[in-house]
Amino acid sequence: MNAFKRDKKEEEDGGGNPFQNMEKTTVLQEARTFNDTPVNPRKCAHILTKILYLINQGEQLGTTEATEAFFAMTKLFQSRDVVLRRLVYLGIKELSSVAEDVIIVTSSLTKDMTGKEDLYRAAAIRALCTITDGGMLAAIERYMKQAIVDKSPAVSSAALVSSLHLTSVSGDVARRWANEAQEALNSDNVMVQYHALGVLYQARKSDKHAVTKLVSKLTRTSLKSPYAACMLIRMACKLLDEDEGAGELYEFVESCLRHKSEMVVYEAAHALVNLGRSGSRELASPISVLQLFCGSPKPALRFAAVRTLNKMAMSHPAAVTACNLDLENLITDSNRSIATLAITTLLKTGAESSVDR
Amino acid sequence: MFPIGDTAIRKGRKEGRPVTRVHVTLINFDINMDGQLLEPTLYTVKGMAILDNDGNRILAKYYDKKIFPTSKEQKAFEKNLFNKTHRANAEIIMLDGLTCVYRSNVDLFFYVMGSSHENELILMSVLNCLYDSVSQILRKNVEKRAVLDSLDIVMLAVDEICDGGIILDADASSVVQRVALRTDDIPLGEQTVAQTCTQLQWSHRARMPGDLP
Repeated sequence: MNAFKRDKKEEEDGGGNPFQNMEKTTVLQEARTFNDTPVNPRKCAHILTKILYLINQGEQLGTTEATEAFFAMTKLFQSRDVVLRRLVYLGIKELSSVAEDVIIVTSSLTKDMTGKEDLYRAAAIRALCTITDGGMLAAIERYMKQAIVDKSPAVSSAALVSSLHLTSVSGDVARRWANEAQEALNSDNVMVQYHALGVLYQARKSDKHAVTKLVSKLTRTSLKSPYAACMLIRMACKLLDEDEGAGELYEFVESCLRHKSEMVVYEAAHALVNLGRSGSRELASPISVLQLFCGSPKPALRFAAVRTLNKMAMSHPAAVTACNLDLENLITDSNRSIATLAITTLLKTGAESSVDR
Repeated sequence: MFPIGDTAIRKGRKEGRPVTRVHVTLINFDINMDGQLLEPTLYTVKGMAILDNDGNRILAKYYDKKIFPTSKEQKAFEKNLFNKTHRANAEIIMLDGLTCVYRSNVDLFFYVMGSSHENELILMSVLNCLYDSVSQILRKNVEKRAVLDSLDIVMLAVDEICDGGIILDADASSVVQRVALRTDDIPLGEQTVAQTCTQLQWSHRARMPGDLP
């Protein structure tokens, strides 16, 4: 990676940071280089990186500045350098909210999203959807539906995630593309499955009957993706909270306590103790799981467990008492957030003796 | 927003019942909002940041317009976050109502932020993916200078991990594959077969004028 090695002078000025002491106006002037033909990919990628860095540092671009930079950037579509093209997509996303007439790149992006290069397609879809408005949506709908069921997981995920973002442009996008999302749900890729479930829930969330059907179907199959499993637990709990399909769904959430992924096990334990069922038999298994997590070597896991127990101690202090010894060990935890949570939990459940010890 | 409350209010008004009934439903609703039950949504990540050892921003993205809407607020939050985390290597902290998981190496600090009700292990998986992706991109040389030298690729990686608050990919090796490293920068011995194929494809295409990629 010696893309920046040539900037020896800058290095000496900026104490090893090639991006220090950059002037917005200077960098925007450098962007005129984008108009040169043939495009020098290395040089242009470096300038574009500087622009993106400035924006990321919180530098505000005026409408005129942003529009000029944007239009100069569109010239870079002539180059076939992969990294440069990908940086252009990033630039489009970053400038789309400030620059004017950004829709002029629609055809270039549509060409890229339907092209052969997978590395372009996924990223082009995401860039295209940031500049799409209600009027343009109809024009790209066909391509988007195809992309959702594409065999490349990157492309499929990009299209699914973008359709969720497009909900703000048009409320029923998810519903119109639900059939394709349903197909993507069967994907072997863990992320595609997760994103598809998110789109399906968005499409049906106003129709409780449809959600019930979706959830009860999925609880009978086992989802490969731990992320999708967490999402499904949340969907099941929402229904349980409204008392739909109680027995079956409750058993499903309980069965997730034996999932092989810690993420899902914790999600299930957290859900069970928050469902507001106070039977000691029902609380025993999630509490013993949380108790186990209290002794985990991973701080995040200890934190998660003690946070859930803490909340629970407000409503069912007696049930949490079983974990008092484990919580006492956490009082001296090196992580201050964990120690604080442990102490406040014990104050709700324990006697003075345990804090004293 | 909350149909239970709304319908209750409308019904109550129609039947001339006292407003206290409505009040009760709202209290229930508040308990739910307290993260008792998590809303099924893919929008899990509130932000990601890479800071240097002075707490200055190298890269940061915030995905929720409602938290820290201005750059000033973001930087103030980052300073605060850095002050509370740069000495304690504790992996997780609750700050300003956000759960932040973090990791550091030499002179770099990596953060992933989520709502305080979010499943911490999901946030942790995103953080690990961010760190491992950067580590693979910089060929295990995770330090500030190296990040700045490959800033373009690191930016692309961040964009591949999270899209507008939705986890796009949490597997570092697949993220690195998707950012299309400049193949001519990797010694041939370290290249994967796929990369070599791509490179051959590209050099072949370069000699075939007229067919656009």
